[in-house]
Amino acid sequence: MTAHLTRIKSRLAIHAHRKVWGLLEGEYAAIHVGRGIDFNDLREYVRGDDVKDIDWKASARSRQLLVKRYVAERKHTVLLCVSTGRSMAALNDAAVAKRELAVLVSGVLGLLAVQHGDLVALVHGDEHRRHVERPGAGELHLERLLGTVHRAITPDGPHSDLPGLLRHVVRTIRRRTILVVVTDDVTLSEESTLLLRRLTAQHEVLFLTVGDLDPTRREVAGRRLVDVDADAEVPGWLRRDARLRAEFAALVDEEGQRMRRRLDQLGIAHEVVRDHDGAITAVFRLLERHRHARRR
Amino acid sequence: MWDSDATTFRWPWLALALGALVLLLLVLWLRPWRRPSRTGASYVAHAARLQSLPRYRTLVRRQVALGACLTLAALVACTGAVVLAGRLQQRQSMSQEERTRDIVLCLDASGSMAEVDADVLREFRTIISGLRGERIGLTIWSGAAITVFPLTDDYTYVLDQLNAAEKAFASGDVYSDEYAVFTAGTVLDWDVQSQMGDGLASCVQRFDRSDEDRSRAIVLASDNEPIGAGIFTVPDAAAFAREKKVVVHGIAAPATAERPDAAQQFEAAVTSTGGTFSVLGADGSTKAVIDAIASLDAKPIKRPPLVQVLDRPRLGTVVVGVGLAGLVAVWVAQAVLVLRDRRAGERR
Repeated sequence: MTAHLTRIKSRLAIHAHRKVWGLLEGEYAAIHVGRGIDFNDLREYVRGDDVKDIDWKASARSRQLLVKRYVAERKHTVLLCVSTGRSMAALNDAAVAKRELAVLVSGVLGLLAVQHGDLVALVHGDEHRRHVERPGAGELHLERLLGTVHRAITPDGPHSDLPGLLRHVVRTIRRRTILVVVTDDVTLSEESTLLLRRLTAQHEVLFLTVGDLDPTRREVAGRRLVDVDADAEVPGWLRRDARLRAEFAALVDEEGQRMRRRLDQLGIAHEVVRDHDGAITAVFRLLERHRHARRR
Repeated sequence: MWDSDATTFRWPWLALALGALVLLLLVLWLRPWRRPSRTGASYVAHAARLQSLPRYRTLVRRQVALGACLTLAALVACTGAVVLAGRLQQRQSMSQEERTRDIVLCLDASGSMAEVDADVLREFRTIISGLRGERIGLTIWSGAAITVFPLTDDYTYVLDQLNAAEKAFASGDVYSDEYAVFTAGTVLDWDVQSQMGDGLASCVQRFDRSDEDRSRAIVLASDNEPIGAGIFTVPDAAAFAREKKVVVHGIAAPATAERPDAAQQFEAAVTSTGGTFSVLGADGSTKAVIDAIASLDAKPIKRPPLVQVLDRPRLGTVVVGVGLAGLVAVWVAQAVLVLRDRRAGERR
């Protein structure tokens, strides 16, 4: 088992170092992870407050005793919520499986959190089983989580069930987290929408969709393709048709737009990870978008 | 005249085995219980979305139709091949009845008879082409009888021999080498010549297959002018012929008429066997004999029926051809559709 984190780090290094850390700083501002001594606001002194906290200058200006309030120094938790149904075991493009991509984007977000000293937790599951991994710090913990995700995704496992997974999060996660949903669903059901609305009230929700391989693509025309959901072969004669290719592309496009509209309505920052090369860019774009959304 | 039986397979087991093999292969190929093997396959998710596309339904419908036609054509071709392999055969039998007559030409080889013999032979040569199943033999005699050829139905040989005999007699020159060579052996003793009684008796003995009920006839050409005494007298020989149920047709040389006793004896002998008597030179001399032979009662002879077994490959060939033509047609249709789609894709 090669270390997932090592690979993720090497991929991160490809991007300009400055840009990465710049984004990281921005992200922190956005998600209100306090630095422990960040000044938040002033309030009137009440009996029992520490005299050391009194802001004398401000009290002199406003003629009432004011105490400084700081954001409590605490570690934020990044909760990776990965849908590990069998469809995740399919291909993302001609060479890379969606599984690798899910591990990659989870790893990038987890690594950013870990390097900042935050905790990373994991919820993953399919229609039959759901697991919660306790929050932990450090790269070793993250590596273990990524390994769990990687192992959980198999082509003969149960089907994916995003609403069930989200319901599990609602039921089991009490603390406030940065919830990173990594899924491969192409549509959002009514139930998922409701659950996501419920989750946005508690968490910072980031939504990452892993794209699917277009079975009509010319690159895979010579290969045998098995529909992992139906466990049936997608016949080759079907996939070579140009008109079908065009219609399928239009369908995928329409579904993507509908999904984007839904998530926009929910105010959830979201991004589609289309391929391996664009994965890290997509993650940063997601963080950027989330930061802007909060500053709005 | 060939009676055809029903057509059957020569090797029905082979046809059955091949049919079973085709069925087995079909089942193995379809394998309804089979799940797609995962080796070498790549997984794709959410491919079920394809099924909602109108183009998908069109393609599936087309593929199903083409596949059904292809399968049908292949099965037809296989059926034809199985029929061919089984070797469809038809058994034909022919019950043969031969109406057979045996005719011995019994020619007096003495010098005076040469021209008459030539005439008789010429006539015979013309009617041999009309014969079927008859056997012809030629015996010449003078003081003693020799068989030029025995009874046979090999007509080409008979014609050859008759030609040679006619050539020998037709020269008319009794001192020629040809004549001498041909008639060599007929005169053992110059004092005993032209013995009609002996000649007739010898000719009667030429008939074989005495146990079979065949029509037997002798065409006897002579001038009944014996020199010396023979073993059989003419009436004795006639009685012998009667006993063997041989009909004797007599043709007398023109010179016979000058000797009424001889002519009368000849006629009496011939008619006593039920034959005709005629004098050469008179109208239709040999014709009468030939008519008589033609009207001779031909006895039907039973032979075991001839059986022939013929291959009937036409059905199998036609079926295979139809199947192959169907395959080609489906392939052409498929190619046309693919080309059309490709052109439409380029236009887009």
